[in-house]
Amino acid sequence: MMSVIGRAQPRVDGPLKVSGKALYASDHRFPGMVYAVPVCSTIANGEIQGIDTSAASLMPGVHAIFHRENIGTLFRATVNHEFGADMVHLDETRAPLEDDVIRYYGQYVALAVADTFERAMAAADAVKVTYRSLQPNVDGQLAPETNRKTESERGDPAKAFGEAEVRVDQTYDLPPETHNPIELHASVALWDGTTFTLYETSQGVVNHRNVLAQMLGVSKENVRVITKFMGSGFGGKLWPWTQSALAAAAARQLDKPVKLVVSRRMMFQNVGHRPRVQQRIRLSATRDGRLTSLRQDWVNHTSILDDYKENCGEATPQMYSVPNLRITSALARRNVGSPSPMRGPGAVPGLWATESAMDELALKLGIDPVELRLINEPELDEGLKIPFSSRHLKECLTTGASRFGWAERDPRVGSMKRDGLTLGWGMAGCSWQAARFPCAAAVELRDDGTARVSCATQDIGTGTYTIVAQLAGETLGLPIDKVEAVLGDTQLPAGPLSGGSAATAAVVPAVLEAAGKAIDALLALATTAPGSKFAGRKAADLEYTSGRVHPKGEPATSGIAFETFLRLGNLGAVSGLGSSEGCGAFGTTKPKFSSHSFGAHFVEVTWQPEIARLRVSRVVTVIDAGRILNPLAGRNQIEGAVVMGIGMSLFEETSYDQRTGAPINSNLADYIVAANADVPALEVHFVEYPDTKLNALGARGIGEIGLAGVAAAIANAVYHATGVRVRELPITIEDLLT
Amino acid sequence: MQDGIGEVFAQCPMEHTMNTRQQVFATPDEPVATRSESATGAGDVVHVTLRINGTAYGLQLDPRTTLLDCLRETVGLTGTKKGCDHGQCGACTVHVDGRRVNSCLSLGVMHEGEEITTIEGIGQPGALHPVQAAFLACDAYQCGYCTSGQIMSAVALLDEACGPEDADVRECMSGNICRCGAYPNIVAAIRQVRGKP
Repeated sequence: MMSVIGRAQPRVDGPLKVSGKALYASDHRFPGMVYAVPVCSTIANGEIQGIDTSAASLMPGVHAIFHRENIGTLFRATVNHEFGADMVHLDETRAPLEDDVIRYYGQYVALAVADTFERAMAAADAVKVTYRSLQPNVDGQLAPETNRKTESERGDPAKAFGEAEVRVDQTYDLPPETHNPIELHASVALWDGTTFTLYETSQGVVNHRNVLAQMLGVSKENVRVITKFMGSGFGGKLWPWTQSALAAAAARQLDKPVKLVVSRRMMFQNVGHRPRVQQRIRLSATRDGRLTSLRQDWVNHTSILDDYKENCGEATPQMYSVPNLRITSALARRNVGSPSPMRGPGAVPGLWATESAMDELALKLGIDPVELRLINEPELDEGLKIPFSSRHLKECLTTGASRFGWAERDPRVGSMKRDGLTLGWGMAGCSWQAARFPCAAAVELRDDGTARVSCATQDIGTGTYTIVAQLAGETLGLPIDKVEAVLGDTQLPAGPLSGGSAATAAVVPAVLEAAGKAIDALLALATTAPGSKFAGRKAADLEYTSGRVHPKGEPATSGIAFETFLRLGNLGAVSGLGSSEGCGAFGTTKPKFSSHSFGAHFVEVTWQPEIARLRVSRVVTVIDAGRILNPLAGRNQIEGAVVMGIGMSLFEETSYDQRTGAPINSNLADYIVAANADVPALEVHFVEYPDTKLNALGARGIGEIGLAGVAAAIANAVYHATGVRVRELPITIEDLLT
Repeated sequence: MQDGIGEVFAQCPMEHTMNTRQQVFATPDEPVATRSESATGAGDVVHVTLRINGTAYGLQLDPRTTLLDCLRETVGLTGTKKGCDHGQCGACTVHVDGRRVNSCLSLGVMHEGEEITTIEGIGQPGALHPVQAAFLACDAYQCGYCTSGQIMSAVALLDEACGPEDADVRECMSGNICRCGAYPNIVAAIRQVRGKP
C-alpha cells in the first residue's frame, strides 16, 4: 500500500496534452456544424430600439440572425444552494436576449450563425442595432448602496479600538480582475430533436447540465454536458454563462450542431470577473502586540441585476486571536456584467487588506511582522468557537522565515542592498477554507485486468485525472497504467465542482469506497463463478491483494489474478459505487471542526529608483494543506498561484471607460498577466500534517491557498524597499515615484 | 504523420473536411467560387495548397481565414489553440519554415509553398519529441491549453540565439502566456533538453 499516493506522479493525461491530442470544448467538430458569433451591445446602459438584420441575413453562408424575437423561449434558472447532484447555480441569472434592456457593455443582443467562422463574424458586424443610451455608472469609488450586513461579530470592537494604545485605520482597494484562462469560453451544442449534447468548458458539468435544462425548458435527463479537457477557469467557468444557452438554442432552432467561441474581448464583458472591492480595516493592539480589535468593512461592486458578494471575511474570523471583531459587507451596483468567484474568492481580497494592515501594525509596534503573527496565534476558531481540525500556521511562519533567511532582515526602509539594487523583504500569512463537496464515483474491475474509475467531475488543470487514477490504483493495488480515469461527462456518477479547493477532498472518500465495493463484488464473484477455485467458499474467507484473490492468511502470490474470475463468470466487469457527503462550507450539517489550509509567503523585491524598476526577485512559500497526494502537481499548483499573485500585485486591473462603460483594456496586451520573464525562481515547501478529519488520507485541496496573501507580502516588501505604502492594487511605477 | 491526421479526422468526422482531404492534389484549375458572390465579394474563396506537417492539402479558403482557423476548422488539426486571436498569448504558435509565428496573425492563403509545422507534426504519444517528453516529466503545464504553443516556441528556441541562462529562456519564452503559471517548470523542461549533448 501507499506506493502511488504521495509520490511525484507525472500526469496520466500528459501525453495527450503535450501532443495536441487533448480535446477541449472548441476542438469538437461535427458534420454540418455551423458557427455562431454574438453581437455585443456597444452601450452599457439603456435599451435596444431596433435591430436591423436585413443586410446581415443576405450575406453568403448565413443561416440565421437570432435576436429576442426568434431565438425561441429561454427561461431563467432557479438558483438553489445545494452542492450535490441537484445543484443549480449561476451568477448572471437573466436569460440571454430576455428583454431589450442593456445593463452592461457587451451584453449579447443578437447572434449571427453562418457556415464558416469568417462569414459569421462578417454577418455579426453587419447587424445594425440602434439604442436609446443612458449614462452608465462604472465609477470606481464605491459607497454602500445596500444595508451593511454583519458577517461575523464578537465583543465590542468600537470600544476596544477607542481604548487601544496602538491603532491602524486604513482602506485597501482591489480593482476588478478578469480570470482570463487562456482557453476562451466555448460551447459546441448538438440537438437531436430530444436531447442536447453540450461540449462545454465547465468547472461543474453536473451544475451546467442542471442550469441549462432549466434555461432550455427540457428535463435534465435530456441534457448531456461533456468537458473532457478544460483550459482552466480560475472560477470563471464554475457556472454557465449566457453563450452556452445561446449556442444550444441556436442548435435547436437550426437543427444543426453550433459552435460558439467567445472572443477575448467578450471574456472581459460576459463571463464574470472579480469585482472591485474597497475594504476599511481597523486594527488595535496592546504595546506588546496583542490584538484587541479587528474590523473589516467592505463594499464590492456588483451588476445591476445580480447580488454578487465577494466574501472578504472568509478567513478573517479565525486567522488570529482577537477578542473584539466585526466584519460587515455591502454592495454597490454598477453597469458591469455579473462578477463571479475568482480563485480564492473573498479570502484573496480579504487577506490582501488584513495582511497589509498587520504589516502596518507591526511597524507601529516596532515588532517583527512574523513575531506579531506568532503572538496572535489562536487556540481555536474564535469565530465559530470550535477547534481546528489541523492548523500549522506557526510552523509555516517559522519554516518560511528560516528558509528565506528572515533573521538577516534589517527592518529599516531601503537599508538592504545587493548588486546596486535596493532590496525589500516582506511577508504575509494566508488561509483558505478546507471543505468537501458531495461526490459519487464508480470503480470497475474489468476482464482484461484493468480498472476504470469514473466520476462526473472534471480536470480543470489541477490534475484530477491523475489523482483519481492514483486513488483507484492505490486501493486496488494496480499500477497506474492499468487504471483508466474517466471524467467530465454528466452520464457518470455525479461529482463535484472543480472549485473551492474541494474537489480532491471530495473524490478521496468516494473513490476509496467505490474501489472497496468493487473488491467486495469481485470476492463474491470468486465464490460463485463456475469453475472458480474458490467456488462454494465464503467471500469473507478470501482476500484481495494487488490484483490477486487468495484465501486469508495465505500469501498474495499464491492468489489468482482477478480477471480470471470475470472470465469464468462471463462478466465484462464488476463494479462498486461510492459516495460521500459534503462537509465544511459545502456540507449540510454544522461542522465540529474548523478546517482550513494555511501558509506563509516571504517575498524579496528589487527596486532601482534610478529607472523606477521594480521586480519580484525571490519568493519562499510554505503551505499547510494536509497530505499532498501528488507533490509534482501540488508544487505546480502553489507556484502557479504565486505567479498569479505577482500579476495581481503588479499588473492586473480591468479598467472601465467612464463614458461608455466598456472594459477598455479587454485584451492580453493591455490587461497584463505575469509572463515567464516576470517570475523568479520560486521555492515551495509543504508542511505535511494529514487532516484526517476531512478525509481518510488527510488531503485538502490546494488550488487557491497559494494565491492568498501574495499581494500583501509583495506590498509589504515594496514598503520595506521604498517606504511607500501602496494600498491600491496593482502597485505601479507611478505609485513609487515620490 | 499521415496516420496522426487520419486519427484526428476519425475522431471528428466532418463532411467539409473529408471533402477537402479528398481534394488533395486536385487540379487547381477548377472553378473555386462555389456560391453567389455578395456585393462585398465575401463569397470568394481562394484555392491554395498548403504543406502542413509534410502533407500537401488542397484547400478552398475564404481569404479572411487566419492560418490558425485554417488549421483548426478547415484542416482539422485542433492541437493548435486559439487564446486571443490578437497575437498576444502565443497559444497558436506554429512553425513556418522552421520559425515560430503566431498563426492567428497570419492569413492561411499567404503560406503556399512554405512548410508549416504544428504540434501534431512534432511528436505523438509513444514517439514524443524530447521537448514534449521534458514537459511531461517536469509537469510543465497544468490545464494544457497553452502547452502546444509553449512546446512550439520551446522547440524553435533550441535553434535560436537564446543565451544559456534561465533568465534568457524566460525572456525568449515570454511570448507564450501560461495563465496557470507553470513557468518555473517550463523553464526547467527547456533547461533539461538544452542540457543534453
